[in-house]
Amino acid sequence: MNFAIDTGGTFTDLVVDTGDALHLFKALTVPEDPVAGVIDVLGVAAEGLGLSREEMLGRGELLIHGTTHAINALVTGTTARTAFLSTGGHPDVLLFREGGRANPFDFSVPYPDPLVPRELTWEVPERIAADGTVVEALDEDLLRARLAELAAQEVEAVGVALLWAMVNPAHELRVGELLEEELPGVPYTLSHQLNPILREYRRASSTCIDASLKPRMTSYFGRLERRIGEIGFNGRVLIVTSQGGMLDAADVARMPIHSINSGPAMAPVAGRFYAREDTGRRTAIIADTGGTTFDVSLVRDGRIPRTTETWLGPQYQGHITGFPSVDVTSVGAGGGSIASVDAGGLLTVGPQSAGSSPGPACYGRGGERATVTDASAVLGYLDPDYFLGGAMELDLAAARAAIEADVAEPLGLPVEEAAAAVMRIATENMVHAIEEITVNQGIDPRDAVLVGGGGAAGLNLGAIAARLDCSEVIIPPTTAALSAAGALMSDLGAEFAATSVTSTADFDAAGIDAVLAGLTARCREFAGRSRTSGEPRIEYSFDGRYPRQNWDLETPLRNCELGDPGAVEELASGFHEMHQRVFAISEPDAPVHVTTWRARVSCPLGDVSDRPVAGSAAAAPRGVRQVYFQQGGRQEATVAEVDSLRPGERVEGPAVLESPYTTVVVDPGTTAVRTDRGTLLLTIGDGGQR
Amino acid sequence: MSEMTTKPRLEDPVQLAVVSNRLRAIVRKMSNTLYRTGRSGVLNTARDFSCAIISPEDELLMAADSLPIHVLSGPDLMSRAMRGFHPELRAGDAFLHNSPYHGNSHPADHSLLIPVVDDDGTHRFTVLVKAHQADCGNSLPTTYMGGAVDVYNEGALIFPVVRVQTDYEDHDDIVRMCEARIRVPEQWRGDYLAMVGAGRIGERELLALGDEIGFDALARYGAAWLDYSEQRMADAIAKLPAGSAAASATHDATAGAPEGIPVTAVVAVDPVARVVEVDLRDNPDTYPCGLNLSEACSRTAAMIGVFNSVPDSVPTNAGSLRRVRVHLREGCVVGIPRHPTSTSVATTNVADRVTSSVQRAIAAIGDGLGMAEPGPFGAPSAAVISGRDRRDDDAPFVNQIFLMLTGGAGGPYNDGWLTICHAGNGGMLFVDSVEVDELNFPILVREQRIEPDTEGAGEFRGAPSARVEYGPLVGDLRLVYASDGHINPAAGVRGGRGGAASDQHLRRADGALEQLAGQGEAELGEGETIVVRTAAGGGYGAPEARAPERVAHDVREGWVSAERAREVYRVALAADGTVDRQATDALRGEQR
Repeated sequence: MNFAIDTGGTFTDLVVDTGDALHLFKALTVPEDPVAGVIDVLGVAAEGLGLSREEMLGRGELLIHGTTHAINALVTGTTARTAFLSTGGHPDVLLFREGGRANPFDFSVPYPDPLVPRELTWEVPERIAADGTVVEALDEDLLRARLAELAAQEVEAVGVALLWAMVNPAHELRVGELLEEELPGVPYTLSHQLNPILREYRRASSTCIDASLKPRMTSYFGRLERRIGEIGFNGRVLIVTSQGGMLDAADVARMPIHSINSGPAMAPVAGRFYAREDTGRRTAIIADTGGTTFDVSLVRDGRIPRTTETWLGPQYQGHITGFPSVDVTSVGAGGGSIASVDAGGLLTVGPQSAGSSPGPACYGRGGERATVTDASAVLGYLDPDYFLGGAMELDLAAARAAIEADVAEPLGLPVEEAAAAVMRIATENMVHAIEEITVNQGIDPRDAVLVGGGGAAGLNLGAIAARLDCSEVIIPPTTAALSAAGALMSDLGAEFAATSVTSTADFDAAGIDAVLAGLTARCREFAGRSRTSGEPRIEYSFDGRYPRQNWDLETPLRNCELGDPGAVEELASGFHEMHQRVFAISEPDAPVHVTTWRARVSCPLGDVSDRPVAGSAAAAPRGVRQVYFQQGGRQEATVAEVDSLRPGERVEGPAVLESPYTTVVVDPGTTAVRTDRGTLLLTIGDGGQR
Repeated sequence: MSEMTTKPRLEDPVQLAVVSNRLRAIVRKMSNTLYRTGRSGVLNTARDFSCAIISPEDELLMAADSLPIHVLSGPDLMSRAMRGFHPELRAGDAFLHNSPYHGNSHPADHSLLIPVVDDDGTHRFTVLVKAHQADCGNSLPTTYMGGAVDVYNEGALIFPVVRVQTDYEDHDDIVRMCEARIRVPEQWRGDYLAMVGAGRIGERELLALGDEIGFDALARYGAAWLDYSEQRMADAIAKLPAGSAAASATHDATAGAPEGIPVTAVVAVDPVARVVEVDLRDNPDTYPCGLNLSEACSRTAAMIGVFNSVPDSVPTNAGSLRRVRVHLREGCVVGIPRHPTSTSVATTNVADRVTSSVQRAIAAIGDGLGMAEPGPFGAPSAAVISGRDRRDDDAPFVNQIFLMLTGGAGGPYNDGWLTICHAGNGGMLFVDSVEVDELNFPILVREQRIEPDTEGAGEFRGAPSARVEYGPLVGDLRLVYASDGHINPAAGVRGGRGGAASDQHLRRADGALEQLAGQGEAELGEGETIVVRTAAGGGYGAPEARAPERVAHDVREGWVSAERAREVYRVALAADGTVDRQATDALRGEQR
């Protein structure tokens, strides 16, 4: 039995793979203690599966966890008070960055503040040169005096990034030892251990981001493993990484920067699967609506795009993470987004969110402000008695009161029109986020299928599609926990790299074969720890460049026995072909320099793609309800349980299709069909924009 | 592939947005190719290059992510020269162009023009790749020959739109000419190859876009994109007050111009006709030195000053440029130079003085408009360095490095952008990584930090100077540089103060410091270093009007001393570094 748990800002989602079916569960996130939300949802699942919690967890082999805990800390500025230690003479590495600017004529954007203020930056008296030789010895006495100053500043974490530490780590290691003596218990990150790359700005930025996350994330992952262990889980805990891979929780606790995009990284894996299976399309937009954020990711031509450079915030203005990541755009727009009318009479929705606590007014948990969820309740989209499959009752009167007070009254509108206006603004915000990532990359949203993720996706995805002129929307059966489902569909994988510089002009075949053998051993060790069904697959590649080039091109390595006759020639010709394909030129006579060797291991978790998604126990009878639509106002709409639809059965809008964790609004003019797989396929009618 | 592809409709704002973003994506892809595959540090580290798409009518359509001084005007002039010299354009052609007398910026910028020709033989677009070369065959190992009395003395090979490829194959004799004249020829050859790659990528993508949308529709979207951009510029100018003003600046004295080079820009804003006019005709004739501007740089430098002063972020292309009229004179130092006038340094020093005069004149027209002067360009932290690398069998090297250049000017909303580099660059350049420079060249960068109390004070202050010290790690190092801003530092506007002047010293092995000239060469032996102070930017508005919290922040972060906060900004700070309101009110009251 495998578990995938995705902690969002409002809900904690769980998908359990029991071997014959996938089961979806949800519980509210506990922001002050996200582990509690994990424990809660496991309890909900045990109950749903008719097992004791201990019994269920005792059968568990893998628990895969994605979390927005790290990104939330960064976005809300609640990371640790972090100091930066830099080589003497170079205190401004984080201030100067690498230059660059988004728009040369836009002077409305101020120069960004450094990740760590100069006030918390100290210079380490030392210097190492490019070849690793020590130009200036580390002055330990002076350094100790500076560390005492640093201690007096009540610093909670320290990032150490010295010039050329990835070539000769001696000084960084010694600084680490002195930190343990002078600031015992204060976590620190050494740049050469975290991200041993050339270029001091990105290495330092990685290092300081990582250090700033350590106090919080180390404690989080430690608590998570301990507490699920206490209640009976003794399998392996894996954390989803920003690159869409998985690492053991203990490893991520040591390098928490890898969990920055942990939350949404797996949604496109699931999106790609359903887009292909249910519509045959290879280009998809995955719109994952949570309670707090709206995350958009892409599948382009069957591939999930990754960014080579990831920034926290906008490029050149935010801070570079120094690691690649799955390409996801997030905006503060979700079910919990708060609606308000400003002094000038302008209605805004989000980015502020009521989250799970206090939550929307209709949750009856002390929230008083009007949210998108409240608007949905007022419009009749949500059935107050059937929210989360009836597990939670919505307070419709509280929702109406909140919309009345916060929106209807200030705007002088009837309450339903006010609620419809809230939905419209929320839709616009989401449309804008999708345009950001698609149009800006030259993808026409009209050519893509829109895949809904998140329990609230179905409320307005049809309206979003109409705005974008997308003709098809799919709501997969796992929509309410799309990221978690994606985690179970992806391979268990890890990537290992080693730097060993050589050239095809003078190739060190024996040395490189040893490097590759080392990588292979690490892959096998990783695979050995995972009890997966299929055979692990290892793929090799190298980062190559022509002489005097400054950036590498990753190229697959087809034959990794480089001692074989012709193997080096094959490596070179592979690089020339790759260079020709990507950059339209190649230099077949030139030698190829190789800097880094990579091995990627993937272990299939077992094919879950044909597992049925367990439905609700008893399908409620079909009926009708008064629902307010943008077009035509209040009208009678068909209401049906998604599971009561036969495959191929069509439902014409206006209709509301419900399942325990999702409500899908089918606007007048739009048609819904249930596919064999259980996906709802919406075909958007002409009632929209055109 | 997709069953849902919709036919394009004109007046379709979604499709117009998609097409303009596709063109932008193509230019970015070209840029990325050049950046990733270039061989010299100027390209693969500093990114001193530009890529653009030009219409068959010589209109600049898209130049995303490009250096302003490279592309506002120039692509139009070069496209016209190409069509004039080569009336018949064929698929597979490529032209090498660096002639400042035919639309190029300066000889060190090699441009590659590739006509994009469809299957029917119709010329649909021209793609432009312009890249600053590590060396261009000048008589001295520098790409900025400030002392060149004319183009012969300058020495670079000049290519006035020379066909370098036919049927996608090189004319090897042209390539051999370059290899025979340009220092470290294999580096040039690699950069040339990277430029061809970037250009051919642009060609390939445009042909694919044309196949997808239809070339005629694409041309209509291109025209609509320019009209939209013109409208945006017209709307922005309509919001400005009517008025006319002049501002002057003087480039430091230099060989061939012992009194310095004075520049005056007269700017007239007409919000009714929705046009800005810049007149540069009342300026001296060309000088016997390399600082004269090419026509492309004269026009562009003036346009940058205008775009820096337009509050909205208006797309910069031939459409918006229709609303900016620049008047030039033949034979003028900031006009249209005649052969054999040298324009070796046309993209930076005097061009920056033109830009800053334009934006200072606009600042004089009304509060909240224009900008102060950025720090003048050319500090030896961005010198052309050369020598032999003992670590690599004494292989010769020559390259421009880009360590810190600061100097952003204060504006009406914000402090100066720290890494602006120079006015014509707009902060687009990438700063070298110390590690990358030390890997590529036998140098050691000892220090690189901002220098406190150098900023042009103001309500919005200029960016401070940087202090940069470096020298050879092993062997000797030769530096060539042409720096401005020693005698005439950056000016403030509307009560803002000027920025600190630039300066440089040679530090002998025994630690003794010797003053070095503003322009020239230096030879550093082992153990010796050059100590550079870059020019700071000027301030906007009176320093005593600066928000006290901003001053406190600058003091806490070590940009400004507490003494300067008190004396210049009239802000008193308490012992914990927070603003002492009462004492500040008293200081500022007594000021009035």
